[in-house]
Amino acid sequence: MAIDLKAVEQLATDRSSLKAAAGLAKPAKWSGIGGSPDGALIWGECAGSGANPYRVMADLRDLGNKCTCPSRKFPCKHVLGLLWLNAEAIVPFAPADTPAWVSDWLGRRRGTSAAKPANNAPSGDAKDLRAARIVEPEVAEDPKDAARREAQAARRNEETERAILDALDALEQWIGDQLRLGLAGFIDDATARCRRIAARLVDGKAAVLAGRVDELPSRLLALAAGDRPRGAVVELGKLVMLARAFRATPRDAEVRRAVATSETRETVLADPQAVRVDTQWEVLAEHVQTRRDGLVSQTTWLLNLAASGPRFAMLLDFFPASVGRRGSVFTPGERFRGELVFYPSQQPLRALLVRRGAAEETLAPEWPAPDEALSDALTRPLLAEPWTIDIPLLLPQGRIARDDAGQVWWQSGDGTATLPIASNAEGLLCGTDLTRAAAIWSGSRLTILAAQTPWGRIGSHD
Amino acid sequence: MTDALKAEAIYDAMGTVLTRWTMGSAAAAAAPFWRAELGEDPAEAELRLLALSGQFLGIAVTAEPASTLRVLPDIPALALPTLPEALRPLARRMLAAKKQAQGKTELVDFLAARGWTTHPADWMPEAGDDDAPDVYAPWRDWAEIAASNNAARQQTNDHITVGNWDDFWPAARKVALAELRRRDPSAARAVLEAKLGNEGADTRLRLLSLLSERLSDDDIAFLEAIVANDRAPKVKALATSLLARLGRGQVIGEDAAELAGFFSVKTRGILRRARVIEAERPKTPAQWQRRKALLDGADLASFAGALGITPQELIAAWDWNVDPAADMALINLVVATGTDTQVADVAKAIGQHDATGLIVALAPRIAPTERARQAEAALNTHGIRFELAQTMAGPAARLNDPLSAPAGKALLAALRSDDAKPSDQVAELHALGLIASREGARRSLERLTAAGLLQGDPRLDMLRLNAALDDKGAKP
Repeated sequence: MAIDLKAVEQLATDRSSLKAAAGLAKPAKWSGIGGSPDGALIWGECAGSGANPYRVMADLRDLGNKCTCPSRKFPCKHVLGLLWLNAEAIVPFAPADTPAWVSDWLGRRRGTSAAKPANNAPSGDAKDLRAARIVEPEVAEDPKDAARREAQAARRNEETERAILDALDALEQWIGDQLRLGLAGFIDDATARCRRIAARLVDGKAAVLAGRVDELPSRLLALAAGDRPRGAVVELGKLVMLARAFRATPRDAEVRRAVATSETRETVLADPQAVRVDTQWEVLAEHVQTRRDGLVSQTTWLLNLAASGPRFAMLLDFFPASVGRRGSVFTPGERFRGELVFYPSQQPLRALLVRRGAAEETLAPEWPAPDEALSDALTRPLLAEPWTIDIPLLLPQGRIARDDAGQVWWQSGDGTATLPIASNAEGLLCGTDLTRAAAIWSGSRLTILAAQTPWGRIGSHD
Repeated sequence: MTDALKAEAIYDAMGTVLTRWTMGSAAAAAAPFWRAELGEDPAEAELRLLALSGQFLGIAVTAEPASTLRVLPDIPALALPTLPEALRPLARRMLAAKKQAQGKTELVDFLAARGWTTHPADWMPEAGDDDAPDVYAPWRDWAEIAASNNAARQQTNDHITVGNWDDFWPAARKVALAELRRRDPSAARAVLEAKLGNEGADTRLRLLSLLSERLSDDDIAFLEAIVANDRAPKVKALATSLLARLGRGQVIGEDAAELAGFFSVKTRGILRRARVIEAERPKTPAQWQRRKALLDGADLASFAGALGITPQELIAAWDWNVDPAADMALINLVVATGTDTQVADVAKAIGQHDATGLIVALAPRIAPTERARQAEAALNTHGIRFELAQTMAGPAARLNDPLSAPAGKALLAALRSDDAKPSDQVAELHALGLIASREGARRSLERLTAAGLLQGDPRLDMLRLNAALDDKGAKP
């Protein structure tokens, strides 16, 4: 089934979409390109600005399409790029089995959602393929302008830093108030109180910290009532330490990432210090959470199957809840070869996917053994970055057990370690040996992401 | 102070610190070991103490279980293998899409009929899931062990006897009894005679129903004892209906005579005068209610007797498709109290009279292969849809060319029509996937994709699973 560029042009909503699509119609931007044997469906994964690539799919019969990016344009530039690749045969669309995510989309399509060609815009902003293809030459910048721009940027940075420091003063003042007013009252009214200081932090350009404070009540309420005063002390104590760390080293990228903003994808990719790891990864789990600030966070946990290197990687993306449900990019349990670049850190964890190879079966199905003793794995990240919330762990052989009150515990096979599980556990997880388990240690409780068992891998999709 | 002693002192002080902060009072004085670190400024000291305490509580203190921990036994392996790894995602997606237990049960039944079970991470029955295929009994019992607080009882795989009755968990016990009943009906009855009285009413009902397999005159004394002595009306009613199936129905009483009054035996035709049973239309809602109550409590033999004919004659002379409520009531009467021959007669009669929908109600009394045969016949001659055929056939069907039946042609036409939508015919395609043989599924897939459906279309999931799954089940 062939389409021509004319169809792509008609489908685009405006000239800028087409222009952006032209930039994406390059093989290097894509992985996992494929098509159904009958040529009706095409799909691929396109690297975007986030940590996760976008999954793009189209039905060539009616040009129905779907992309997992948060763009409000429909179709987005990724879909147009994929169609462009197909129309000009820039890359081969090898016939393959339809991936489950494409089938899922087909199943959700309602009625004839044939994409209608967008109304042609007035000639002033006409969509034009030729115009879209033209690469605008970079205009050489006047040295004076460049100097002025740098000076402006430096001034903006200083202002931002000042605003953040003021906001952190307000935060510490607020924490002191909570202690004076009593943690009992704070726990009862945590949502409203945290909301107020979070708003102040947003004004003070400490957006990441604001998000964290906003989510504090939900972490607190997840604890048993008797455990909440302890949980509140741990949470508020971490905030004090983070504020102090920022005052001591306001330019430290890692601390800044925890307080204000993260570096852009381009910055991380361009950083020669950033650790790059090209190895085989297993997708452990994907967590999607709607936050109080209206953003949805999408966290993908990856396990490095090689003998060395950072054991875990976390791909983190945010998008507005208003763009609706978003498809997963990875299937838990899938293994792939890929290159990741880690945000610079003492404990490299957050990463970006640079390049993803095809999914592959591995010869060694076993996960690697834990790299360090369990007690060290639980504490080392907190000694390096005391404000850390989630610590990924590889657990040795163990089993799920219950106490008389019904609380669920993970118990190591040798009986030396017992850790509380955050949620309930039922079914297979409780009825078999966990040869290895990957888990998140957070708030002194364990959340199991996936485990290897005599029944094979079990995980969060189960 | 050594590090260990200091850690202990900090730990001891944390209780006081937490209590003070909870109440809203300053806590620095409760942590003399950190005096140097906290400094002189009271407000600053509280914040520093908060940071230090938080770090200490986060790192050095983890919860410990208050009581001894209980570990559940391993989930046992079942008698049939779990689905091949490559097909699990497909099965998982279908199980997730089926919101109601009924839809899941259909798939699980299908797999069991083809010689496979689900992976326990994809689906496990609950303890009370009586509809789950017998092969899952060990998992149902595991679920019961998990839900109970008792220490695990030893699971046994022996043949059931009066002596080892208590060694079995309930689901496995029922399966063992059913197996014994098929092998040695008298031995199974003897075990029930000794043990049934100690069980609860629901369990008695479930276990007694096992006697319908290889029911014979040898069971009469036991059943009569239950009718006479059991406390539960439902158990008594079941024993009564089993007796009726052996020709030991009630004597024709007032109720049967009153019921007969709602029907009349007439003759029709001039040359070949045939007898016909006509339902007299009840005139008031109260009469409808009364007729229904009488039919629910009747048995086939006494109803026929009250009309002055034999049960066989009653079935042969019934006027089908005139009074649907009466039709259904008669079917239920035959299912509960008819002999095997009478069941076969009525199945034949409704097949001839184009009342195939009723055969679903007869299903519990018809052998699986016979059900599949009837479903295939109804598909080809009465033009029923695949959904109904699947309900009629149950999991044993293996149709080789279902798409050539009228339902298949209608399906293909609907899929090809101009206003076909991607969400059309979901249930029909799913049912087709359940009743086709592996070869039939392959052929159907070819024809459906040739008709324009995409290979990856999720509506074809069931057909794809069927076509890919090695059929290792017992074939009829």
